[in-house]
Amino acid sequence: MIGPLLKGLRVTFGHLLKPSVTVKYPYEKREVAERYRGRHILKLDEDGREKCCACGMCEEICPADAIKLYGKEDPEFKYSDVGKYAEYYVIDYARCIFCGLCVDSCPRGAIEMTQDYELTVPGPGRINLIKDKGWLLEKRGGE
Amino acid sequence: MLAAIVIAVIKMLVLFAVLMLFVAYGTLAERKVSGHIQDRLGPLYCGPHGFLQPFADGLKLFFKEDIVAKESDKFLYFLAPMIAIVPAILAIGVIPFGESITLFGRKINLVMTDINVALLYLLAVSSFSVYTIVFGGWSANSKYPLLGGLRSAAQFISYELILGLSIMGVIMIVGSFSLVDIVHYQKGMWMVVYQPLAFIIYMVAATAELNRLPFDLPEAESELVGGYHTEYSSMKFAMFFLGEYANMVITSAVAVCLFLGGWYSPVPFLSWVPGPIWFVVKLVAVFFFLLWLRWTYPRFRYDQLMGFSWKYLLPLALINILATGGVMLFLQGGI
Repeated sequence: MIGPLLKGLRVTFGHLLKPSVTVKYPYEKREVAERYRGRHILKLDEDGREKCCACGMCEEICPADAIKLYGKEDPEFKYSDVGKYAEYYVIDYARCIFCGLCVDSCPRGAIEMTQDYELTVPGPGRINLIKDKGWLLEKRGGE
Repeated sequence: MLAAIVIAVIKMLVLFAVLMLFVAYGTLAERKVSGHIQDRLGPLYCGPHGFLQPFADGLKLFFKEDIVAKESDKFLYFLAPMIAIVPAILAIGVIPFGESITLFGRKINLVMTDINVALLYLLAVSSFSVYTIVFGGWSANSKYPLLGGLRSAAQFISYELILGLSIMGVIMIVGSFSLVDIVHYQKGMWMVVYQPLAFIIYMVAATAELNRLPFDLPEAESELVGGYHTEYSSMKFAMFFLGEYANMVITSAVAVCLFLGGWYSPVPFLSWVPGPIWFVVKLVAVFFFLLWLRWTYPRFRYDQLMGFSWKYLLPLALINILATGGVMLFLQGGI
């Protein structure tokens, strides 16, 4: 009867001496996997033009219906190398389930997911979680 | 005469302050130890390693809304938290924590009063603490506190008896109820060596008296919300908390006095360390043991709790008394 009781005490004392597993979150951040699916980013090509051609595949496949976009013609190839670009591109992070299907479905590799998982926003409501193109576009040259 | 009063007042203030300090840091120790046993860290950001957490908690509780249960029995409802800490404060008066010292040519005993029935007095005032729980459980007029109070009453009656019987062996060997005499007797050898069974029974019964796991049925969080203090908030809740930890400190102190050699050092070559420091070290060790127990064992079922008390501990305590008496008789050379 006494043996198991002492064994229990030994187990808890062992845990007392073990280092804790706590990550002191705001001060130190957890390492994420290399292919972690965090927030999206819209890629740019070598000339700094958007890769996105506004085909709408991501909007079509999104199971959470989080993506909305519409394209616009660009005859002077100013914004894109195919003559069409997404004038309006919005991801609602209150809906997004971070499945990554938009990335898989993109024919031009224009949308990718990053390791950034800190998506909390100030204020009540979900309006601040709806992110537009300005926030999603990849930044180039200290822009 | 005046000097005696001044000394008594100073001793009272110091003892009270030290008790309160122990209580405050007892709560922090509980949280830190439980955190580390569960591979967490516990309070960390309030002061270095959460060192100021007790004060932050106190401030928070002080400013919380004070809710009075509408259908409660107001007199008992307010009385219960008031008397929560009284038994512990009464008990600290007889606990010796060091040899007499001489200051400014005056002999000062490091005990509030050395009365010759100190142990009886301790048992009497410690059983007083059941009133807190029973009043708290009854007066709130709510089902969970009532169940907690009922359980606690039954538990106290069972374990008070065991607690009293477990220390009988010590009293028989020493031949005195005075805690100072008992500690003096242990100068050469700790009482736990002569009375190991009594020590184990005492610790079990004391844990039950303190309503701590594995005997915390009166407050069993998972079944009774908070038990007898479910309907209390703010400082009234804090008073129950203070009472619980003060009782823990007192129980640890009594265990040190009775079984672990009081203020005497365990090994002769360390006897230059002052007595009160040894006393505190042993006190903290026993206190830690209580915390350690809490995070090791699961809660008893209610019938197990009563069965354990009456079927196992009571016979064991009686056998211990008989065996002690027999051995003493044998050593004296028979009848």
